[in-house]
Amino acid sequence: MPLTFQPIIRELLDDTGTSRIVATTNEDGSPYAVTSPFLHLNHDGFFVHLELLETSITNRNLLRNLWFDRKAAIHLTGKDGRSFLVKGVPVKAIISGPVFSEYYNKVQQALGDSDLSTVWLIKPVEIINETYSERKIEEESQYPFSVHLDRLVN
Amino acid sequence: MSQRGEVEHLNDIVAKYPEVPRLIILKTDVQRRGVFYTDASLSVLDEKKHSITGTHIFGTRDGKIAPRPESLLLRDGTSIITTPTAIEDNPYVLDLLDGQPFLFDGGEPIEEVDYWPAPAFYGKLTRSGILMQKIVSARPQRLVINPHRYCTFWKNGNGCTFCDIVAQIKKGKKDLQVQSRPKAEEIAEIVAEALKEPGRYSAVFLTSGSVINGTEPFDEEIDIYIEVFQELGKLFRTKKFPSQIIGTAYSEAQLERLYRQTGLMSYTADIEVLNEDLFNIHCPGKAEWIGYKEWKRRLVKAVDIFGRGFVNTGLVAGIELTSPHGFKTEDEALKKTLEEAEDLASQGVSTVYIVWSPRPDTVIGNQKNASLDYYIRLAKGLHELRVTYKLPIMFDDYRHCGNHPDTDLSRLLPF
Repeated sequence: MPLTFQPIIRELLDDTGTSRIVATTNEDGSPYAVTSPFLHLNHDGFFVHLELLETSITNRNLLRNLWFDRKAAIHLTGKDGRSFLVKGVPVKAIISGPVFSEYYNKVQQALGDSDLSTVWLIKPVEIINETYSERKIEEESQYPFSVHLDRLVN
Repeated sequence: MSQRGEVEHLNDIVAKYPEVPRLIILKTDVQRRGVFYTDASLSVLDEKKHSITGTHIFGTRDGKIAPRPESLLLRDGTSIITTPTAIEDNPYVLDLLDGQPFLFDGGEPIEEVDYWPAPAFYGKLTRSGILMQKIVSARPQRLVINPHRYCTFWKNGNGCTFCDIVAQIKKGKKDLQVQSRPKAEEIAEIVAEALKEPGRYSAVFLTSGSVINGTEPFDEEIDIYIEVFQELGKLFRTKKFPSQIIGTAYSEAQLERLYRQTGLMSYTADIEVLNEDLFNIHCPGKAEWIGYKEWKRRLVKAVDIFGRGFVNTGLVAGIELTSPHGFKTEDEALKKTLEEAEDLASQGVSTVYIVWSPRPDTVIGNQKNASLDYYIRLAKGLHELRVTYKLPIMFDDYRHCGNHPDTDLSRLLPF
């Protein structure tokens, strides 16, 4: 069973205004990030990324991650600025069957004449809070030397 | 070797080739050794949800015709088309783990699998009352049609030594009521029904036995394919549609006719073994009617017609090592095979392989196939040729065929 989520993650994913990014690593180690407009959590707690293009770099990178047990990253930012990074491992690539068909139909309903290559299930393993306001409080309390003095002047 | 040793052997190969995905090594080993299905694993096989063996053109290692999963699916989308094998032959075992089909070896759990999902058209009847899956079957993303099952090389006893196509036809007629020559209109009726399932298929595939008849040898075989393709063509709004045949090595005139008169996009003519002496021994019918060098020449010519990246040839890997005539060592077999494959790749023809599965109704069915190490080195070698010569292989990859460990690696190709 993957990580237990804070309700905030599910809230962000339920909001269509949340930006969703999937970041992977190319073969040469360089990063590669794309938006994942259909990204959501399934009822088993796995992230679901719908890869529309068989030949995309992200598709190859996710496959490489699955094959060699490497992590990808998912970044969520809400309209209110709340922001989280989730590290996860792609664990399943669905290319056929009822789950695939259901998503294929959803993509076609959303985008018209379009295709679906793979339904990726990504198992989250770590969540990092990147929300600026909360990280700022945390940093200033733990690292007072990170604060500029002009902000402390009477 | 002990059962524990077999598990270590897989892990040894995984450790030896860290650049090759464990799941592909596992797939290759399961194909090499076969699989035994426990009663528990068969208890969750549901013909409404899963694809069940039925119309396959070739037989099984255990020689039985019985409902088993058509194929296994790994969690990366890779298929393991494997043959049911008797337990005494030391295959992998398919059992359940917490209700999930799972591969075991030596009593140890190895990897979870799914069964191929059943197409929506299975269970339906054609207008003439035939069960549709008796004529057209399916892989995860491909429709499979056998327009003519009999191979005429067998008429004078010159069938391939590893092939049981004729024995299987006889069994198929009696036990499965499979049609040996279905009507083109009926095939098209079934494909039309199949395509009502959105997102399920991205190619149509045809293969049959070789038919030597015609003004020019194999003209009638071409006629059969053209007839079926022209009926299928009526279903699509584009002139060409994703499709493949595995046929005999045709002349340029025949290839032109096939390409111009149909929607066919890719072409495969299996040479089976990349050595002329072994070709003559293992494929006497192909040798009698075409010959090794001419087979290769025709493959190269096919590239001019179908285009680079749309022509390949297949090997039954492992037969090149059988006694008494085969290569004496795996190193020698690999070197010679890859040399020939490179010659073809440099001229635009890709080579793929299947893991030879020794089957009881075949001439060499009593011999063993190659080591796992050999098959992995062969997969790497053929994949690297495609990288070097920039040869795409999407028409024969994991999604469309699923039977080639080497093209499973091509999922990472950037072209």
